[in-house]
Amino acid sequence: MTIASIKGIVKRYKDQIALDYVDLDIHEGEILGLLGPNGAGKTTLIQCLMGIIPFDKGVIQLFGEEGAVFHHENKKKMGLVTQEITVFEELTAKENLEFFAGVYGLKGEEKKQRVKEALEFVGLSSKAKQSPNKFSGGMKRRLNIACALTHRPKLLIMDEPTVGIDPQSRNHILDAVRKLKEQGTTILYTTHYMEEVQSIATRVVIVDQGQVISEGTVDELIKNIQHEEKIFIDVNDVSTIPIERLRGLEGVKQVQVSGSVVQIISNAGAGNLDRALSIVKETSGVVGIQAEKPNLEDVFLTLTGKQLRDGEDDPS
Amino acid sequence: MKELATIRFIGIRMSRDFITMLLLLVVPIILITVFSIILGEAEGLTGTPIRDETVVLLVLGFQLFGGAITMNYVHQDLFAERKDRLLSLPMNTRLYGFTIMLAGIVYSIVLGTILIAYTALIFDVNWGNFMWALLVITLMSSLSSIICLVFTFSVNNFKIAERLSEVYGVGMILLAGMFFPMPDNALINMFNDYVNPLMLAYTTIDQVRSGGLSDGWLNAVLLSVLIIIAFGLLLLTGRRRMP
Repeated sequence: MTIASIKGIVKRYKDQIALDYVDLDIHEGEILGLLGPNGAGKTTLIQCLMGIIPFDKGVIQLFGEEGAVFHHENKKKMGLVTQEITVFEELTAKENLEFFAGVYGLKGEEKKQRVKEALEFVGLSSKAKQSPNKFSGGMKRRLNIACALTHRPKLLIMDEPTVGIDPQSRNHILDAVRKLKEQGTTILYTTHYMEEVQSIATRVVIVDQGQVISEGTVDELIKNIQHEEKIFIDVNDVSTIPIERLRGLEGVKQVQVSGSVVQIISNAGAGNLDRALSIVKETSGVVGIQAEKPNLEDVFLTLTGKQLRDGEDDPS
Repeated sequence: MKELATIRFIGIRMSRDFITMLLLLVVPIILITVFSIILGEAEGLTGTPIRDETVVLLVLGFQLFGGAITMNYVHQDLFAERKDRLLSLPMNTRLYGFTIMLAGIVYSIVLGTILIAYTALIFDVNWGNFMWALLVITLMSSLSSIICLVFTFSVNNFKIAERLSEVYGVGMILLAGMFFPMPDNALINMFNDYVNPLMLAYTTIDQVRSGGLSDGWLNAVLLSVLIIIAFGLLLLTGRRRMP
């Protein structure tokens, strides 16, 4: 079931097009990774989806509704984790959560319980009465996330929630995202760290220059761009390797020798690893073996012609 | 009315804003203490202790800057770093902005009341009727918050709005002749008699404590008219700029 649907959204900032006829569907229960470099339009897309900024063209459907969808009842079903840390520094962690829980309409014992649960969820129970200005960057990020969780949103939008934090806090946050998915929360997770998307997303949408340039599961995206497989076999005695037999394998495009390494390039899906290894082993000992598979970084490079972490600041 | 319920948290935030507390409470206490010690029991030409006149003007003068906290909170929450998060919440942001304004006014009234109590108890400053003084402080706080918000909504650059609020405060103090005597100019006199909130507030307190209740009311009404005009401007500018 589609929980949110964006159709043909256009957003301009004066002469600059931030979103250029973007189409996007978010399905219930998934973690949709929105991947793109800085300035790709990710934050603008989120702002449109949350009703924070108006857009020039297009339609947004939320929870099956179309038209005036940004009413309070729909907003209560959504949560936003902002890219910036937007907690109140003058309030304690618990007071911060009480503020947001209250605005989402929680009261009394239910509010108390949800605040307690949210603090436990992000591992800040022991710091409940401390002010965030005494927190580390990672702890502030976790509180920033907790502020969007007290009302148990159906759709949680996380805008680069791990920027500028240590690996330990990042892992904590990624584990929390997985747990939320297990609990049934639908998550739109934007980032420019491809390893995060690769590790948590059930589906990935790649955006660049305000356009969706590709979407699918990580495997689908890789398959789409994978035109060849590379196998590197490090051998004891390269002079004994039957190069011509290797060249004769089905789908092999090229066999090269570089030092003690034999490099075999085949068509994608040829599955020559086992066969090539058997041939090499007949005449020489094998010291090491490596099969190179593309990752999301390669997908992005292939689709856009540039590195994922290139680009300028988001115009929004 | 969950927006109005947030006043508790805005109040807590303001009470823990130690820099503002330093500027609007500690600095005036230091200045009042120093001036009170220097001026002692000296009397002016009218027989009123100079200390009473100076201290009342100082307390009212600091009320001109009370709106700074309101404009800062409105800016931070609705126009700067917290904008996206607060706009994503299921609440009326205009009502939330109004709640910040209310909290700012209450905060400023509390600080003003502390200053009145301090001056009355420690230096025996004659404020006349305490409730009347509180009413005047309330009017001054309201006017300052509203005017600061008008500045916030009138210009795109918040730094300029901050400077304008300082010009408003310092300008009124300057025109009131607190830094140096103003020339006997008809325009300046008229401005001080009918427009300068500091002079209107001082006159209303001075009149009431010396028995001139009707003149006191007149100045309080003038101050209220200023508030109404400023509120009208606030609605006009706020409607255009509030998210």
